[in-house]
Amino acid sequence: METLGNATSNALFLLISGDAELWQIVAISFQVSITAILIATPPALLTAFVLAYGRFPGRRVLISLFSTLLSIPAVVIGLTFYLLLSRQGPLGDWRLLFTQTAMILGQIALSFPILVAMGHSALQSADRRAWETALTLGANPLRAVSTVMWEVRFGLLAALLAAFGRIVAEVGASMMLGGNILNYTRNIPTAIALETSKGEFAQGIALGIVLLTLSFTLNALFYHLRGGGQPA
Amino acid sequence: MTHTPLKLHFNDVHKRFGRRPGLIGVNIQLIGGEGTVLTGPNGAGKTTLLRILAGLEKPDRGSVDMGLGATRWRRCYSDLRTSILYLHQHPYMFDGSVSSNLAYAISDKHNRCLCQQRISEALKWAGLTAIADNHAKTISGGERQRVALARAWLREPRALLLDEPTANLDPEARTRTLELLFRLKESGIALLIASHDPHHFASLADKHLQLTQGVLAEEFSETSNVTPFRRTHP
Amino acid sequence: MKGNINNGLKKTDRLIIKMAPDLLCLYIYIAFQHLQFMHSTLHRKQIQTLLFSLLIMITLPAAAEDNSITEPLIRLATTTSTENSGLLNHLLPVFHSASGYKVHVIAVGTGKALRMGKDGDVDVVLVHAPEAEASFVDAGYGDHRHAVMYNDFVVVGPVNDPAKIGSAANITAVMKRLAAAQSLFISRGDDSGTHKKENQLWKTAGIKADNSWLREAGQGMGKVLQIATELDAYTLTDRGTWLAYRDKSTLKILFEGDEALHNPYSIIAVSARRYPDINRTGALALIKWIRSKEAQQLIGDYRIDETPLFTPSANSDQIAASQESADNYR
Repeated sequence: METLGNATSNALFLLISGDAELWQIVAISFQVSITAILIATPPALLTAFVLAYGRFPGRRVLISLFSTLLSIPAVVIGLTFYLLLSRQGPLGDWRLLFTQTAMILGQIALSFPILVAMGHSALQSADRRAWETALTLGANPLRAVSTVMWEVRFGLLAALLAAFGRIVAEVGASMMLGGNILNYTRNIPTAIALETSKGEFAQGIALGIVLLTLSFTLNALFYHLRGGGQPA
Repeated sequence: MTHTPLKLHFNDVHKRFGRRPGLIGVNIQLIGGEGTVLTGPNGAGKTTLLRILAGLEKPDRGSVDMGLGATRWRRCYSDLRTSILYLHQHPYMFDGSVSSNLAYAISDKHNRCLCQQRISEALKWAGLTAIADNHAKTISGGERQRVALARAWLREPRALLLDEPTANLDPEARTRTLELLFRLKESGIALLIASHDPHHFASLADKHLQLTQGVLAEEFSETSNVTPFRRTHP
Repeated sequence: MKGNINNGLKKTDRLIIKMAPDLLCLYIYIAFQHLQFMHSTLHRKQIQTLLFSLLIMITLPAAAEDNSITEPLIRLATTTSTENSGLLNHLLPVFHSASGYKVHVIAVGTGKALRMGKDGDVDVVLVHAPEAEASFVDAGYGDHRHAVMYNDFVVVGPVNDPAKIGSAANITAVMKRLAAAQSLFISRGDDSGTHKKENQLWKTAGIKADNSWLREAGQGMGKVLQIATELDAYTLTDRGTWLAYRDKSTLKILFEGDEALHNPYSIIAVSARRYPDINRTGALALIKWIRSKEAQQLIGDYRIDETPLFTPSANSDQIAASQESADNYR
């Protein structure tokens, strides 16, 4: 049996020696999750903005709906999309099951509520005068929206990081929708799940280290930016 | 400035806050180069009135006459926003330098040189050149007020609505603010100033209005015995 | 025709995955357009040029490497045992270079694999549950069912063997002793081939398993072996996974060699009658290849620590004999 220390030192060796398969998994993970977050962000932030600044009936219901969706388990999203995308399902003709696109769809669905809920609270904390000042100074609505978003960019960035953190580390949906196919849809979390089930703990730990390093780097970067961008 | 003298009529403006009547049948005119001071107790609806006139809020009822006959409110939001500028009591500063805050007010940015030139003119006009590169969120209240006025100057509105522009300012900052307001008025802009301290604006006021419980009335008292601002601090 | 649809859709998949850098540049550009007042010191032209060259830099290599993944694709649903034992990693690269087909392996339990075949989500399945396979074929979900190889199931358990199954005469006796001793037994509980086998064994021994000592894990074979190791429990496993996992476990084989523990694997093409646009050609090519002398040799030669895992069985293919006549008849 491998001990923790043993497995960790093997993991570090795998990382440093540039194990091709391992880095391929890391690359797939990033490619899929970054694409998902890039596609999800604009509509999610616009939704958040409308929820924060709009005045229409049902707004509160929508806000609590998105907050509820925050706690939806990833496997439920995975299952829903599985049933939609399976050949027997309504979108079966697209033949997207077990592709990276399917994973991206699942991850978009996962990140959307986080982006909306956290984006909403960030935008709500923005000074309403920013919006009004932008409008009175002749900005068109689109520019006024981006101005307000710029004013609370750190809150929005935090939302982005949280959403990215969730989807990049999420097993259930990726496993179901991607199928954990080697060199194609095997990303960090599904690979960890697989390696663990095979008893290859070193691989699992190595991938875990990559995830940790990533989130540490992103957070460090975030706090650095925040510190530099907002003098007291 | 070369605008034809502005004449704006707002007729029969109504607005309710929940059950409480906010504004009841307010009629008000804004005339280019004329200064109007609006007084009234707290909660009388001064701010709401200004925001409605500036196209930031919707009245329950009312019409606007911009010289072409009465128009429904819905049709003229963008016209109102382009010709009337509302300044918050505490002007909002965008995250960025003072000059970038001024740049925001320039709508045509295609010519960079011209843009820079306009910014430096505005900085000079408002006496902000020394703090042009300071972060706008860190400057003092008086400076903020002047940045807001410089933005207004760049934007060239036809009427300027101010909400307590000198509240919480020290006397010197107040003087400088009033000076800028005076110059804006001279250039033909209509000023509507809501304030608790009408005597501060004596030199700007051509007309005094009082808003009490949603009803607007003209007021003639108290203006004669107040000295113009230039002489308050020799 | 089938190929067209498949390839076309793969193209959208590739397009979407290559979108990220372009999207990123687009967002930066839009943000810049709207927020330019924030950067009055930066020259707009410079930033535009910078962004544009960045875009080219990221997009070009992506476009260039695009050709590498236009190869025809086969989707194979198989059991965790073939994948986890490393056999497929041993076989498929050879198949790839021989035929040009890229095989996407989706490793799940046999039950799920057959379900995927039923739904037409894969082109071909490689599983080990003879009865379920037969009904799968009979119901018209698949055809060309062929034996590929076999290994056997073994019962592993703690070294001290509290249920004394080591000395049992046959597997029925083993199951009875396990039930009598009420020793902890970890069941797959996931409708996999192994689970089906296990249920069948309980049934033959006339035992109704009781939750107090039989724990259903609902996980793959490797995971179940881990759980059994941690809990010092018995479990039924295929020999391939056991050999791959042996070093990491303190358990040992306590019973093996009964006829009833035979574990044949067969490959089945998903019915093209139901799903005309699946990769039928690819599926048949894979089936043909895996039964070829070369592949059978590779299977026979595959070893973990000098122990062979699977015995090739395409030559003594009894299923195929009956199957082929049925195919001809149709």
